[in-house]
Amino acid sequence: MNNRLKVLRAERGWSQQDLAERLMVSRQSVNAIETGKYDPSLPLAFRIADLFDTRIEAIFLRD
Amino acid sequence: MTDRLRQRLRRRPRFWAAMFAIGVGVVAALRLTDAVDANTGFLLFVAAMGLTAPMYRALRRQNECGQGGTAALRYAGGMIVAACGYVLGLGAATAIDRSIGLGPGAAVVVALLPALPIIWMIYVMARYLREEGDEYLRHRATIAALVGLGVVLAAGSLWGFLEMFGVVPHAPGWWCVPLWAIGMALGQAWLAIRDRTGSEA
Repeated sequence: MNNRLKVLRAERGWSQQDLAERLMVSRQSVNAIETGKYDPSLPLAFRIADLFDTRIEAIFLRD
Repeated sequence: MTDRLRQRLRRRPRFWAAMFAIGVGVVAALRLTDAVDANTGFLLFVAAMGLTAPMYRALRRQNECGQGGTAALRYAGGMIVAACGYVLGLGAATAIDRSIGLGPGAAVVVALLPALPIIWMIYVMARYLREEGDEYLRHRATIAALVGLGVVLAAGSLWGFLEMFGVVPHAPGWWCVPLWAIGMALGQAWLAIRDRTGSEA
């Protein structure tokens, strides 16, 4: 699954560590999600969407 | 090596984990080549276990700085306690077995000395999977445990058939947990390398 997490994070000038702290996950989690190596669970995807004040489909895209 | 670099290294749990692995490896090599007798080997193993104390302190310091969660710290603490219990239990069981003739009942009790810490290790792993709040780290630990399981099943099956046809000698069943741990470590190493590929500096 593709995602726009890196773009959204860059728009806000956040580092992976900043985003990880806001989501209360590890930096490795953010990195794995951004690079498409791990697809987050629905609860975490909702948390990400809430943080960026958008819908899940606006962040996570079909291959 | 500068003093600053040395100090930085000493603060890293991985440094102590590597020192511990090297220490255990050297002692194991000395024993396997009969360079030291069983008693000296046991004492050297106990000395190597001492390296887990600075490793745990480094982990706790890292945890206090906000790196690594409570579940990971509890996992490391539980594994260190289990590993120390295993070494001491194995040493005690071997010493008792050598010094006095054991009846069947007593042999069961003595066999439990090294076996119980191993069972505790498995429980600590299960507790970590339950307590880890970070789903990706939990996923990684699960994958690594499955790699370990794969190694045990593959090696066990292969060895079993080789043994059946007289190619290799009999291997004691307790090898399954060390093999599982080796497989798990390989799995974690593979995942760590994969994570670094394309990761942000």
